[in-house]
Amino acid sequence: MTTVETYSKLTHEPPQRGLIGSAPVVRPDEEVKRKYRRDPGFPVPVLIAPATAWLIIFLFLPLISIFIFSFWKSTGHGMVPAFTFDHYREFFATEGFFNPDNANFLTPSVFLRTLWTTFRFTITVMAICLLLAYPLAYFLSMQVEDFKWQLALFLLAMVPFWTSYLIRAVAWLPMLGRHGLINEFLLDIGAIDEPVSFFLYSEFSYTMALVQLYVVLAVGPIFFSLAKIDRNLLEAARDMGATPFQIFREIIFPLSLPGIAIGMIFVFVMLMGEFATAVVVYGGKTSTTGTVILNYYAIANYPFAAVNAFMLMLAMMIGVVVILRLVDIRKEL
Amino acid sequence: MAYKSPGQVLQGKFSRRSFMKTTAVGVAAAATGASFMRIAEAADGLRSIGLGVSEINEIQDKATKDLGFQVAGQAMGYGDMFSKMLNQNDQYEIAEGYYNDMDVMLPAKVWQPIDTKKIKDWEKVTNLTKTGKLTPESSVGQGDAPYLFLWVDENGNRVKGPSQYISMAPAFHNADSIGYNPKATGKPIESWGELLNKDYKGKVALLNVPQIGVMDAALAVEALGLKKFGDKGNMTKAEIDFLVDYLIPLKKQGHFRAFWENFGQSVNLMVNGEVALESMWSPAVAAIQAEGVPCIYAFPKEGLRGWHGGLAISAKVKGKQLDQAYEYINWWLDGWPGAFVARQGYYHSVPENAKKYLEAAEWDYWYDGKPAAKDLADPFGTVIIKKGDVRTGGSYWDRYSKIAVWNSLMDENDYLVKRWTEFLTA
Repeated sequence: MTTVETYSKLTHEPPQRGLIGSAPVVRPDEEVKRKYRRDPGFPVPVLIAPATAWLIIFLFLPLISIFIFSFWKSTGHGMVPAFTFDHYREFFATEGFFNPDNANFLTPSVFLRTLWTTFRFTITVMAICLLLAYPLAYFLSMQVEDFKWQLALFLLAMVPFWTSYLIRAVAWLPMLGRHGLINEFLLDIGAIDEPVSFFLYSEFSYTMALVQLYVVLAVGPIFFSLAKIDRNLLEAARDMGATPFQIFREIIFPLSLPGIAIGMIFVFVMLMGEFATAVVVYGGKTSTTGTVILNYYAIANYPFAAVNAFMLMLAMMIGVVVILRLVDIRKEL
Repeated sequence: MAYKSPGQVLQGKFSRRSFMKTTAVGVAAAATGASFMRIAEAADGLRSIGLGVSEINEIQDKATKDLGFQVAGQAMGYGDMFSKMLNQNDQYEIAEGYYNDMDVMLPAKVWQPIDTKKIKDWEKVTNLTKTGKLTPESSVGQGDAPYLFLWVDENGNRVKGPSQYISMAPAFHNADSIGYNPKATGKPIESWGELLNKDYKGKVALLNVPQIGVMDAALAVEALGLKKFGDKGNMTKAEIDFLVDYLIPLKKQGHFRAFWENFGQSVNLMVNGEVALESMWSPAVAAIQAEGVPCIYAFPKEGLRGWHGGLAISAKVKGKQLDQAYEYINWWLDGWPGAFVARQGYYHSVPENAKKYLEAAEWDYWYDGKPAAKDLADPFGTVIIKKGDVRTGGSYWDRYSKIAVWNSLMDENDYLVKRWTEFLTA
């Protein structure tokens, strides 16, 4: 028997529907209290120690070393301790920048432009992800009544996660190529005379593949925040004569903001670090900061790769802070 | 009625066959990415790392059988291989590396000098790596020709040869060129310049390894008579600028369909009809033909872009494993693996030893440039050469007397990578 069912049995209340019902209100019912009294358990420091140690060793220390290495000197086959800003200068500076006679007048450096391209794609894909994920999550949590169906459909939405990332990207090739399914179909019905090439190895295919790869990351959190909304609130609003749009604007949307924020943070962070999809579906015709890091790593210029990694991290942190500024998750939760 | 899978029903008349084919190739490409690694005992036996060119299960399995100790091979992507060779020389005993990386590997001292006195067939190794000239009339080619990086002193410092010690035992090599689909190009491809021919707009792919991609582009620009490079294997900043500034507008016009990063992608691009011609590696031609798509490996009149691999021993190896490492090298040079890779179009550094393990018809086709006397199979048994086919460029000695440039690591490597990034971002 699930907790919710037990609870409803003990309190003679109907069980909450949905994957995540709203939290039951605890009543001064002695029987329930006795049954659910919690053991004080382990002290907090013991509970957080493993995670903290893990994070320090495998996240914090590596990040610090990346930052330190970014000041070291590259030897062509490795690096030696030093304190130089050369690699940062290389990252930001363009030859002839701010020189009115030079063609590069006011052109930002290659690496800044690459970071900007990475960011631009990220924002576009995030927006599309949100537009697709929200209705999907809304449908799942609000329209599907039966818990079993809700779970089944939610798992269905997660199906893409069951296979490898690479397969998901590669699977676009037979769809979008010059002789792919879409082109063959359009040729068959006579909509086009010769295969269209822009479906694949283009911004179109790149954006599409990224959306497909990451939209699930947005669906999950939004779904959970929507499912958590107390249905009594909606009923009360209806009773008081609110229109469906009003209910959405005044109640549902604000209450789902934390889910949106968390989903967008997931998508944002994953997209900023993206480099493999561009190779598969964009034919390597763009470079992201991830690619730059890889390229410099491949020629053993580790300090410069570290500079790029650090800048990418900085951009990600700024992005996450901005998202968190827009939505105060702590308050909303 | 025969059973039809939902997939078959779904695709119906939308060319089911080509769909299945592309899917299969795609999945194969993905599977190659996740390379399979076997764990070896570090105290006994050898762990060897390299590219899929020489790290092939059949080869290391045969070595294990012949030598009586475990040889475990790991095929990696270029970037990963390079980093592992450089940074983790305690994680392998044998590095099946490339002479064009010596500029980095030699000063890093990650490998130990190999004593030629312990190499049984050293005298039989051709002059391609010893003097740079396979035949007395050969030109040595621009860039990092292997003979420049072969000779070292007993401490592993580069010297002008000959010397008793070498950086790496020469083993396998080939020269890369353009692969094309004659139906799509409508004519034979005989010059690197065709890569930039505007007639093929949107149907060209280049290799997305900056150091190599830029050399193919330079060969093309030079072939078109737009610029003469001092040394395509070691370009100046001005030369790199000229090249990239020429390529950027072309890319913006949509001249390039894709930039491929691994073997599977290059095969996929041509099999799916995405490109008419592309810079390519030799075994890709066979793989494409095996899919039923016509593909020819061009022999451009400007010459080929050569590369040379070999077997190096990690600096950490000593004692029994060191003996085993030499045994493995001697086994390689004895010819069985050379014959194996010959069927993919690669050459062996002791051709006469590879000949021992090749059928006469195979030797005639792959090395001698004669028409195939019968159908010939690749190393895995698929027939890829039809009776009567002739290898483009003729015999081994003809091909190797005309190397235009060797794969190289340029002095301006950092600048090159920067401009290449700009090219890709444009």
